[in-house]
Amino acid sequence: MTQFIQQLLNGLTVGSLYALIAVGYTVVYGIVQLINFAHGEVFMIGAFGSLATWQVVCQKSTGLWVLPIMIVGGALCSVAIALVMERFAYRPLRNAPRLAPLITAIGISIALQRAIQLWYPGATSNVPYPSIDGVTGGSLTVGSVVIQRTTLFTLGVLVVSAAALYIFISRTRTGKAMVAVSQDPDTARLMGINVDRIIAAAFAMGAILAALAGVAQGLRDSNVSSTMGFLAGLKAFTAAVLGGIGNIQGAVAGGLVLGLIEAMATQYIPGQFGGNAWSDVYAFIVLILVLVFRPQGLFGARVVDRA
Amino acid sequence: MNIPKITISPRPNVGKALLAGGAVLLIVAALLAWSYDSTILGDLSISGNPAPLQEFAIVMGVVGLIEAALVHRRLTSLSWWDTTSSARALAVGTLVYIVLIDYNIAYQSGGVINLDPGAWLALVGALVMVAGSFLLAPVKVTNQLKVHGANWLEIVVITATLAALLFMVAFILRGDDGGSVLAALAAGGTFGVLLFRGGFFTWLSVAAARHRPVIMLGALVVALLFPLTQNGTDANMSIAVDIAIFLCAALGLNIVVGLAGLLDLGYIAFLGTGAYVGAMMSSAASATIGWHPPFLVVALLGALTSAVLGLIIGSPTLRLSGDYLAIVTLAFGEIFHTAVNNMDGTNGPDLTHGPNGIAGIPDLNLFGFNFGSTHNLGSFTISNYSNYYILLVLVAALIITIFSRLNNSRIGRGWIAIREDERAAEAMGVNIFGLKILAFAGGAFLAGLAGTIQAHATPSVVPDNYTFQESSFLLAAVVLGGMGTVVGVALGATVLKLLPEKLRFIEDYRLLIFGLALVLMMRFRPEGLIASRRRQLEFHDEDENLADIVQEEHVDEQKANA
Repeated sequence: MTQFIQQLLNGLTVGSLYALIAVGYTVVYGIVQLINFAHGEVFMIGAFGSLATWQVVCQKSTGLWVLPIMIVGGALCSVAIALVMERFAYRPLRNAPRLAPLITAIGISIALQRAIQLWYPGATSNVPYPSIDGVTGGSLTVGSVVIQRTTLFTLGVLVVSAAALYIFISRTRTGKAMVAVSQDPDTARLMGINVDRIIAAAFAMGAILAALAGVAQGLRDSNVSSTMGFLAGLKAFTAAVLGGIGNIQGAVAGGLVLGLIEAMATQYIPGQFGGNAWSDVYAFIVLILVLVFRPQGLFGARVVDRA
Repeated sequence: MNIPKITISPRPNVGKALLAGGAVLLIVAALLAWSYDSTILGDLSISGNPAPLQEFAIVMGVVGLIEAALVHRRLTSLSWWDTTSSARALAVGTLVYIVLIDYNIAYQSGGVINLDPGAWLALVGALVMVAGSFLLAPVKVTNQLKVHGANWLEIVVITATLAALLFMVAFILRGDDGGSVLAALAAGGTFGVLLFRGGFFTWLSVAAARHRPVIMLGALVVALLFPLTQNGTDANMSIAVDIAIFLCAALGLNIVVGLAGLLDLGYIAFLGTGAYVGAMMSSAASATIGWHPPFLVVALLGALTSAVLGLIIGSPTLRLSGDYLAIVTLAFGEIFHTAVNNMDGTNGPDLTHGPNGIAGIPDLNLFGFNFGSTHNLGSFTISNYSNYYILLVLVAALIITIFSRLNNSRIGRGWIAIREDERAAEAMGVNIFGLKILAFAGGAFLAGLAGTIQAHATPSVVPDNYTFQESSFLLAAVVLGGMGTVVGVALGATVLKLLPEKLRFIEDYRLLIFGLALVLMMRFRPEGLIASRRRQLEFHDEDENLADIVQEEHVDEQKANA
């Protein structure tokens, strides 16, 4: 039982990270039917941006007060990258055949990874991520279950962001406009919504959440690397598909479900094919199974295929 | 490569004089010394004894003189040749070429001060040529598509073009430092753009369609002759083997992506499947399967295994939209990589020796012909790698034959219909699912076949040869060169594999450049460097003029075939 709860916590932590990144995929897909394959790289840039902020602005302090500054720094970097790629790479391709933006995304992804490796000091291998007082460090024990502080932080980030996201989508003008554009861009434009601005806002929103995930993952693993975006991005996309692409609540749920499946499979699949070495494979098998048997996702896609 | 449109009121006679004058200066300069140091870029230091790079400058000068002579003298037999555009391409290319060489001399010998008069004179000559060429008046040319020469003449021209290509490639490969390779590339590029702007390639594409067997056979012969230019050394041949394997895989991917429009992001896994089957069933000491059938059986098994994997992955997902297929194939590629990395006896059955891979795979032995030893052909030596190269060229030829036969068949037209509009194709009675499966499994089959050869041609088979990065390089080769064209993919594959080998100084920036090149390519020329016209039209569907050309070309081709 202890083991089960332990894995439940692990799964929820990893799942929260997937969920935060998955929202970026799903929002953009819902509005422009584009798999922003480079979103994993936005997440990576967010992590490195927060690290750079810590090194430069926070003077490597470990007090709790630096955390918000790091998050803001990371978010600024990832939003900037996301907006630049939207404006200069994706926007000109909006009416191109669907192959074009996907290949562009792969190109951006490769270039960003390499740029970080070349120009971020020490980024050819893992770069150590700072420990922050209160958020990292000594774990808590409840009964016989060990709870890492970073687990609590990650779950907390997800809860707060999900609430903020819900309020943003349902209460603010921009949020409502986003829903309108995803339902019918032409009518939305007729109603006076600036579609270009809304698309940019969707990219920016995804980037903020990705940066949060980047900080959380950096704190949890105490290092970041230039290649961390690839797998995380792929799995987050899996999560978005799992939840029904275009469906924001679905993406959050899909992330958590995927994290749980991974954790449980790692723990409970016996024999040589069990264990950590195969955990990525389980996630991808889930992706293939979902696409085969329920391509609209567990919670139903919110977009129709307009192609 | 677009030469910017500069609006200068044309002064044809001045332009002509300047072009000729600049060309003469260039020729004279090429006979002088360019550098005092004889170690730079081959020996450019002796007056009156031009080195190969200077000989290129002479050729550029002579072509410049010919162009100047052709201006306004409308020969009916050459009325399709666009003198002005080609002269501009020549002049600009020459300038780039000379600047590259001068920069290299200055860089290596420590400053512009060390350039000898020849180098300066060449620069002036090139500048004068540029000035002259931009003063020429635009010319109206006849449609290159309508030009028919005598049959024998066309065949001679095609053969000569292929021979020139072979010579140029051999020359570029001979350079052993980045500078000379870059200079040779600039020279080759100049002649290429010159012919392109003049309209030669448009003519060639139609002529080639009329003499398809000639050009296919000629290209095969040229590719097979290539090892003879290497004097039996292996330095370039090992690169050539890498390129040939990469090309085989890229050609297979070209069928899947270029013809059928199915984006496969895990294609390298099929090459890997073939390679691992080949390695596991070889007679290597570390092979993990006890059965060692002859290579032909192994090759077939490897290709079939790969095709079956393709079926398993493809059949459920092909019903979905293209994006989903792309992601599933990507996931499959990752599963493959993780799986071969894990199966080392601890995390799974010991099939692949995990990250260490299967090493020490013996050389191929087909019908008593040992690929590991050198063979003599007259006075030429065919080295170890050359053997594999020749085999791979034959495989590539097979794939190209399949590709071009399919391209003009009912199946190929079905694929193109699916690629362009799946729903319309379905409504017209095209068997969408069957054709997609055929493309997907067929592509996997070809990659598997190439993989079994790769297992023997490379020292060892390790998981890290089959990562997503390799898949994206394959895709990049197809996209950069031009989806759906054989020449384009061959060009793309060669450029992507050759340049990093020859230009070591870009090694660090290779991935960065690739990534940005993909982005820029999709933005400005999504149809690739060498695009089939139909493909070009797909990306520029508002271009009415292009649509007319495509239609006309299509009609011409049909007439030629009939």
